[in-house]
Amino acid sequence: MANPFKEMQKGIVVNEVVETPTIKTLTIRLLNSEMKASPGQFNMVYVFGVGEVPISFSNIYNRGDVFEHTIRFVGAVTRAIMKSIRLGSIIGIRGPYGIGWPIKEVEGSDIMIVGGGIGFAPLRPVVKYLMRFRQAFGRINILYGARNPNEFLFKYEFESYSQIPNSRFLLSIDAPYPGWQHFVGFVTDLIKFADVDVKNTYVFMCGPEVMMRVGVKKLLERGFSKDKIFLSLERRMRCGSGICGSCQFGHMFVCKDGPVFKFSEIENYLAVEGI
Amino acid sequence: MLYKGNEEDVLKVYESVKSIGIVYGYKKSDNEIKFDFISGASELPLDVTTTQRPGYYRINAGFGFVHSFQSPKNFLYPPRTDIAIVTENLYVEVLENNIKSVVLFGVKPCDLAAIRVFDELFASNFNPYYFNRRRGIAGIVVEECLYPSETCFCGSVGTGPDVTDGFDLAFARIDRDFVLFKVGSSFGKIIVNKLRLERANESDVGVYRKLVEEAKKKTSIGISVEDMQKALSISIPNEHLWRKLSEKCLGCANCNMVCPTCFCTEIVDEIENDRSRRIAQWIGCLSYIYGLVAGGHFRKELYTRYRHFVLHKFLFYPKQTGLLGCVGCGRCIVWCPVGIDIRETIKSVVNEYGEKHG
Ligand SMILES: Cc1cc2nc3c(=O)[nH]c(=O)nc-3n(C[C@H](O)[C@H](O)[C@H](O)COP(=O)(O)OP(=O)(O)OC[C@H]3O[C@@H](n4cnc5c(N)ncnc54)[C@H](O)[C@@H]3O)c2cc1C
Ligand code: SF4
Ligand code: SF4
Ligand code: FES
Repeated sequence: MANPFKEMQKGIVVNEVVETPTIKTLTIRLLNSEMKASPGQFNMVYVFGVGEVPISFSNIYNRGDVFEHTIRFVGAVTRAIMKSIRLGSIIGIRGPYGIGWPIKEVEGSDIMIVGGGIGFAPLRPVVKYLMRFRQAFGRINILYGARNPNEFLFKYEFESYSQIPNSRFLLSIDAPYPGWQHFVGFVTDLIKFADVDVKNTYVFMCGPEVMMRVGVKKLLERGFSKDKIFLSLERRMRCGSGICGSCQFGHMFVCKDGPVFKFSEIENYLAVEGI
Repeated sequence: MLYKGNEEDVLKVYESVKSIGIVYGYKKSDNEIKFDFISGASELPLDVTTTQRPGYYRINAGFGFVHSFQSPKNFLYPPRTDIAIVTENLYVEVLENNIKSVVLFGVKPCDLAAIRVFDELFASNFNPYYFNRRRGIAGIVVEECLYPSETCFCGSVGTGPDVTDGFDLAFARIDRDFVLFKVGSSFGKIIVNKLRLERANESDVGVYRKLVEEAKKKTSIGISVEDMQKALSISIPNEHLWRKLSEKCLGCANCNMVCPTCFCTEIVDEIENDRSRRIAQWIGCLSYIYGLVAGGHFRKELYTRYRHFVLHKFLFYPKQTGLLGCVGCGRCIVWCPVGIDIRETIKSVVNEYGEKHG
């Protein structure tokens, strides 16, 4: 295996979408290189002189040199991205890293997607994949929650999500909001409305860890099976490739054993605060 | 096979390995003992002894030095390693940090065990910076510990006080005029032949074995590894217990820095003119910033960080490497400013869960 720090590639920002006041989607084209990424994987995104952050793919184009990252500006590196990265900027990219959603293995089954907040970003490539290969899957349910209507990402695509044949696209916000016509409550409360064959459904879930804990509980109550629930976890990451130790979750390295895990394999760890 | 010699022969071994490459090991340096490049025999800590207790370390003139706050980790995986230079237009020059032909001299059995842990860990999680240096090691000479410190518990975790494999030559100092040499490889055999050492006779070997047995007993805490692991794994959700066990902890991460198997690393960028130097440096899981992320923290409470340290050594490393992550060196006990004793932690957990819950 090669030295991961040598693998930094240059990407140029070719499109920019402001999703919310604090979240932007950047379309990045690699200069002189390509990568084969799959939904659920991530890149280490580097800003010169500041540092690197793990960011999931929020869209993967077929071309191999173009993909999207949807980034929330929260701390040092992501703020530097907000301040200094714009159309035409060059950004460092290492990846793809990690094990993504087992999307190929679940063909033929019903699929349920549960996303909370920015946790929907790594699920978007899954949605796109399901749309593209619609006939390979059973019923599709997409559950997506945000704090308020302004916090939703990819609103410009909602129309196409709601037109997927034989599917449900359910939205929730945490508290009542003027003009809101969908569900009010947590995204995990939408689980009871899902229209799927519970026993034969694969669930892909990503969001804050508390949300996923509650989500799993509700799924199990409805009879979903433990080994068909997949979660994407988040930990502090510094290398992205199993070297630095930062991302350990029990004995697993989230960066290389995950970030997507089968619930039945992490059940004991997930139950413990701060493991 | 054991051979008999004396302190002079230890010095001769040092001179002999010097011809093979650069020698790294424990050395006297001012009033400290460091793990570093040894430039001459006078730097070897053969005439000093250490007193080690929880939160206490003193060096005095004497015989039977154990180890220091540093370990082979300081050489194999240094506290700061330059990994790359990046230019503003993102051209990356990778700094590989190669070394060639090094002999580790006088490392302890627990150190050897720690190197083995790193070998396994980094074999599955390929780490170029470790392996570039590891590959440069041409030989390992071990000093067995017949007179361990009060804080040593290698006997409990099966890493000492003697060694059986994974080294080239080992020596055990019984006293100044009586040193036994153990051959661990053909390279070790060549050195022994060059020194024209005699084979040890039965009574010499008897004296040695007796001292090994005594040291083993002294360094045992009387709990089997299986019992430790069983109790620890049941203890995980017991927040109350772990809060109590970590009550005195300051979160200073000294224990991480001195532990020969702690490997966590952060990567920092340091700007110099128009380039950025990327540096990998140690970071400890006990420190607050370790799991700190924007808008939150994965192990916010100190008890969860202390628990992670202990669980990692005893439960997670074995799953990651097949080996226990704690080699019983006792460094974390000695260098903890408040004397937190991992042996006491283990005992408390076993007391809580051992007998009562099977
Ligand atoms: C697998 C994975 C996928 C992710 N995907 C996305 C995504 O698609 N969009 C998005 O906006 N965010 C994503 N994140 C979170 C994102 O990495 C953090 O928000 C970001 O690292 C914050 O860095 P900062 O320097 O701005 O913040 P600071 O708090 O200043 O960060 C300091 C350092 O902490 C690390 N860090 C901070 N927060 C996190 C965090 N939550 N997770 C891991 N490391 C962190 C960074 O490495 C950074 O160098 C993902 C995290 C992981 C682990
Ligand atoms: S945990 Fe303590 S005793 Fe065990 S190897 Fe690390 S420093 Fe030594
Ligand atoms: S050295 Fe002692 S006080 Fe410092 S973090 Fe480790 S256990 Fe806590
Ligand atoms: S991010 Fe470094 S080991 Fe996972």
